[in-house]
Amino acid sequence: MTLTKRMRRYACVFVLQTAFVGGLAWLTNIGAGAQPRGKAVYDAHCVECHGASGKGDGPSAAYLIPRPRDFTTGKYKIRSTESGTPPSDEDLIGSVRRGLYGTAMPGWDRLLSDTEIGDVVQYVKSLSPQSGAQPAKPIAIGDGLPSSPASIARGQQAYDKLQCGKCHGTDGRGTGAVATTFEDDWRMPLRAADLTEPWTFHGGATSRDIYLRFRSGMTGTPMPSFADAASEAEMWDLANYVVSLGRKPIWSMDAAEVQQFYTHLDAKAKADPVRRGAQLVDTLGCGLCHSPVDQEKRVLPGMRLAGGMLIRIVPFGDFPTGNLTSDKATGLGDWTNDEIKRVITKGILRDGSRLLPFPMDYGSFSTLTPDDLDAIVAYLRTVPAVSNKVPAASRPFLPVYLWGKFKMLILGSDPPMVFFAGNAGAKGTPR
Amino acid sequence: MKKFLKWALLVLAVIVVCGFGAFLYFIPPFFITPPEDFGKALADAAPPVTDIADPAQRAIAARGRYLVTTHGCIGCHATNGSQGPDLTKYLAGGALKFQTPHGTFISRNLTPDQETGIGRRTDDEVKRVLRSGTFPDGHVAIGTVMPWPAFSNWTEEDRHAVVVYLRHLKPIAHRIPDPAPGNAVTIPGAIEQDYAGRDYGIK
Repeated sequence: MTLTKRMRRYACVFVLQTAFVGGLAWLTNIGAGAQPRGKAVYDAHCVECHGASGKGDGPSAAYLIPRPRDFTTGKYKIRSTESGTPPSDEDLIGSVRRGLYGTAMPGWDRLLSDTEIGDVVQYVKSLSPQSGAQPAKPIAIGDGLPSSPASIARGQQAYDKLQCGKCHGTDGRGTGAVATTFEDDWRMPLRAADLTEPWTFHGGATSRDIYLRFRSGMTGTPMPSFADAASEAEMWDLANYVVSLGRKPIWSMDAAEVQQFYTHLDAKAKADPVRRGAQLVDTLGCGLCHSPVDQEKRVLPGMRLAGGMLIRIVPFGDFPTGNLTSDKATGLGDWTNDEIKRVITKGILRDGSRLLPFPMDYGSFSTLTPDDLDAIVAYLRTVPAVSNKVPAASRPFLPVYLWGKFKMLILGSDPPMVFFAGNAGAKGTPR
Repeated sequence: MKKFLKWALLVLAVIVVCGFGAFLYFIPPFFITPPEDFGKALADAAPPVTDIADPAQRAIAARGRYLVTTHGCIGCHATNGSQGPDLTKYLAGGALKFQTPHGTFISRNLTPDQETGIGRRTDDEVKRVLRSGTFPDGHVAIGTVMPWPAFSNWTEEDRHAVVVYLRHLKPIAHRIPDPAPGNAVTIPGAIEQDYAGRDYGIK
């Protein structure tokens, strides 16, 4: 009797639940039908980097080099259209489908359907007010020039004549480059392409792709269009020359070449520790905690590495992250090299107090080589000073602390770690 | 006599409570290992690459091992035993749970196990997660949970080295539940919270 009663109750709950879930799905479907389908695709896959408004300011945007595209300006690097005109739909679809090599943009080819990619491209275009104001003017691409030693030699002459080495270096990998730091139109950091690493060319590495980059330029970056400066033949020769610069990637190297490659990498790191340190700080993700963010997780303007993100570790207290900039009063400006290295590798602060083993992962950082540690310190010394006085860590009220520890150690409940938006520090005037 | 007993019991109770409080206050919070040795233990736990026969692959895997240990993959992708992290199950996942307004995420199994790890994932699929946070089902990982925006700055060749090393790990069957929706962060001003300390994989 009780069994049937219980079964009936379950059946009742099941029916109600199905009705509720079905109704909900029906309602959301109506919503999706009313909105452009492209927006739904965009909201599901693009927001993390390009931001909800398409300004290229998603939660992950601030840590990526190059920064994600700001769609509201309608400027695109990878085009097959004449300089000064917008990209064709095929260009945009191609970039979404293939991804942009050497950046965080993945190829969505098999992840999204053709319809979805088409829809999202239309939606992205609609984010720019300039969209449709000017027609795309496709470049009439000729047959090109087949690569030959003569063409490559002529391409090298064109490389010198057009002063490509000023940014890309005489050898295509930055050696002897006059300009070494770059900004795009949004004043965001950029790198000049290493022309010996074709797998990092954003728009692809065929001679046709490279020809198009010369011909149309990369809008929004210091890479200009050479349509007026070079002849058609010169641009194809140049493309053949750049293709010829490509070196073997590590996944095709034999043992001797791998050894040589890593020796070269180490020598390069030693020769330019600041650059190596910058790379390590970027890849280790120091900025993910040591930069305060807003509620949408965007880094507060000008506060990269300035500390002040509040991390609450229950029951141990509130731990605002430290200011890593070179500011003397509030940052690392006054710390000795050894003090900086000690906190990175042992978690011991300047006053001798200790950090918990997380979220500051000094255990892992202690496995860094001495050279890499020196490089990190060398780079942190060059981070522009931002005055942001971060308060010391605070402990909760003693009984709360003891109760939390009791819960954690005896009752076995998980201690939460909570990350807060906003700056817990006191921001001073910028210097 | 009764009065004396009462007093004695009271004093005893106070001593026990205070003693227990002091015990709670002074006991090391997470690990018995001193913090200085902590890093060494983590580095030693990463399987060596000396048993790889091909010298080119060995050199690349060594680079990958350096990147994996220095970049603290084990910080989230550890597997907990009864006494804290079980380092013999290197990178089998499950130790950390993140709750965000966008869902609940448990650290994944990174060993090359066919069923529960990355064994069936192609190199490109693994690299795409490290470069773009994008999983084979098209969802994009939250950059402050899985710090892929940081790993995106690795060179493609370093990313390759990491994948070569992950493929060399001992495969461990440890199924991790898929990300779940719901469980919004309820603390005002918080952007996310996570729970350390318990194994969230299903045995």
